[in-house]
Amino acid sequence: MITEYILNAIFAAIPALGFAMVFNVPKHALIYCAFGGAIAYTSRIILQDLNVPLELATFLASTIIGIVALYWSRKFIIPRPVYTIASIIPLLPGTFAFSAIINLIEMNAHGVTPELINLFIENGLKTIIILGGIGLGLAFPSLYNIRYNRAIS
Amino acid sequence: MKKITYEEQTKITRAIIKAAVLMLEFGAESKLIEETAQRLGNALGIDSVEMSLIPSAIVLSTLSNNQTQSVTTTRRAHHKPINMSIVCDVQKMCHNIEKEKQDVDFIFKALKEIQPNYYNRWLVMFMVGLSCASFAYLTGGDISAFFITFIASTLAMFTRQELAKRKFVMIITFAFTAFVATIVAGLSQIYELSSTPNVILSASVILLAPGFPFVNSVLDAVKGYLAMGWGRWMQAVLLTVATSIGIILALALLSLKGW
Repeated sequence: MITEYILNAIFAAIPALGFAMVFNVPKHALIYCAFGGAIAYTSRIILQDLNVPLELATFLASTIIGIVALYWSRKFIIPRPVYTIASIIPLLPGTFAFSAIINLIEMNAHGVTPELINLFIENGLKTIIILGGIGLGLAFPSLYNIRYNRAIS
Repeated sequence: MKKITYEEQTKITRAIIKAAVLMLEFGAESKLIEETAQRLGNALGIDSVEMSLIPSAIVLSTLSNNQTQSVTTTRRAHHKPINMSIVCDVQKMCHNIEKEKQDVDFIFKALKEIQPNYYNRWLVMFMVGLSCASFAYLTGGDISAFFITFIASTLAMFTRQELAKRKFVMIITFAFTAFVATIVAGLSQIYELSSTPNVILSASVILLAPGFPFVNSVLDAVKGYLAMGWGRWMQAVLLTVATSIGIILALALLSLKGW
């Protein structure tokens, strides 16, 4: 049980690290990106084990990573997306998005059947909701600090 | 308060917009761009800095001498592959100016000295291959899926770097990279090397996921930069479509999945 969590955390840290390198993140921030990926993925698994649905678990996991990154960015004076975007890479709905595309191709090649439409809508919907959950989850912690308090000038 | 001449203010405006364009081109969030511009302006003795951001350009006005003197300028931004180290360097420069009370020339000098922090390309290839392989593991692939994904995405990353070196447009780079990745992954399905072929096919193209444009578009939109949000959303959709075209071409060539 615990070893499985740790193994998953390590395998989630590797993509975060690899993609951080593609985005040319500064060297000293790399280790935090790896930690972020591990935190995001592990918290999603824990939430899923507590019977939270996948979409909501993704949203909460990215909210957690948003809060953690808020703390890190203040500590090291580095813009927040540097940490957050590498960290949410392991949460991306790659398989759902890919299946949706394949469903579209099959519909074009073999004709449209109700089963294919069902599959396409299911996969496409999952992709869109998970992507939206990631984006909004990352945005919420920073929105908390914005207030409508501009003086009339 | 010291008077700023028109020439001085023009120079300051040029420096600020240069920093802002650099941040926009390499993929910074809109709020960060605006805040950095305003902080630079304040540090250099400008009353206020107002800017209008659209995905392809920046319009920036500075006001000084008790808001009686205004300089406005526009710059075109050409989007380049995401590079966070440049964004971080610009922000660090802004921080230094505030802390050490530097002048305008410092900005020009610092911007000229910014070097992108490139990692060793073979290391990046290896790490990206390993990343996609981990993805295959996380989505439930078997051990041979792990290694085939590693090979496919390492080759794909090599292609992407070669195309990026030749300064191709991102859409072409993405389509061609997806093509290469899917050819390798599809060959493994034809020769039945793994029991989970779909995992390989989807994990080997994950290196093309446009995470930065998607997340930045949501972040911009919720913070009130609606035009930027739409622009980045469109960019992300275009890159996804390009990736899909590459995948479809490769599948058609291998006559897999119904083609």
